[in-house]
Amino acid sequence: MSHQQTIRIVRPTKIELIRLRKRLRIARRLHKVLKDRLIILTQELIGLIREAIELRNSCHSKIVMCMYNTINTLFYVDPHRLSLLGDYYRVISLVMGQRVVAGVRVPLLEVEEKILDKSILSLVPLSAINTLKSCYDLMKDLVKLAELESSIMKIGREVLRVKRRVNALEYILIPRIEATIKFLEMKFEEREREDKVRLKRVKEILARRSPR
Amino acid sequence: MSYESSRDIIEVYLRNELRVVNKSLPVRRKTLSELINEKYPYVVTRDGGIHMFRRSELALAYKVLGDELSKKLLLPIILEVRTEFKETVMVVNDEVAVILISRLLGLRDASPPLYIYPPQLALIRNKIGSLIQYAFIVT
Repeated sequence: MSHQQTIRIVRPTKIELIRLRKRLRIARRLHKVLKDRLIILTQELIGLIREAIELRNSCHSKIVMCMYNTINTLFYVDPHRLSLLGDYYRVISLVMGQRVVAGVRVPLLEVEEKILDKSILSLVPLSAINTLKSCYDLMKDLVKLAELESSIMKIGREVLRVKRRVNALEYILIPRIEATIKFLEMKFEEREREDKVRLKRVKEILARRSPR
Repeated sequence: MSYESSRDIIEVYLRNELRVVNKSLPVRRKTLSELINEKYPYVVTRDGGIHMFRRSELALAYKVLGDELSKKLLLPIILEVRTEFKETVMVVNDEVAVILISRLLGLRDASPPLYIYPPQLALIRNKIGSLIQYAFIVT
């Protein structure tokens, strides 16, 4: 048994052995809780990363589309009028909240759109309406991407922390307690054998001394 | 730290870990029909924070369940993660929640308790990620 595997035992007694067994039971339970949590968080992390990659790709194509639409619109509408059109057509608000994933707080962002005046669209060319729509889509995706990437950072940090603890339990603490329990059991067996031998020896000595 | 003082450190750590993972459970759950009418749908959690629901996911649940059952569905849906199982399995005990999840997963004849495995969890998370919460139960 290596030195690292053994816990320093103050009293090699039966009570200590019972305590160690209890400790082992609790350590295993804790290991299960942490491992379940790690599985849930990892799955969440993988799902978020997949979504973020897809969304990032779609954002890139939407940025190109948005720029293309804006340039087309600027042939017919001046930039100031275009921005005013956006302001009068609708109000966009961002709702910021939080949600909890297995003990980790991650942001939740939602874009809300409120149409103010639909009739204003009849005064502008079709390309301007397309620009408004593509810009709004892009903004919604960017907000979602921000939410995802922030969640990935937070959950990733928690995964690292939990993983370190699971590994510490799995490779250090539990084997160490198991080794100590084994060591104590062997020690008690040894002590029992010694006692037996001693008793036999005493019996022999007494038998030799006693007159026949 | 001496051995004597660290004797019950694992027990304390287990208790703290359970407190950390279960602190985000709601103080009071709300029904789906209640939440769908709120401007900002959320519940207050045990640590004083909030857990917000995504509107699109609430609308999906409402669409799947209909008006009658949405008055009975309490949100967030609690997925119990129990240590007694060897593998990671989640259990849903709420009857209406079982109906919602089984319809989303395409399961037939599901009845409580419903056992959910990690691959199914990924599907649920995609559809109603903000409507579920995990409760870690040590038995």
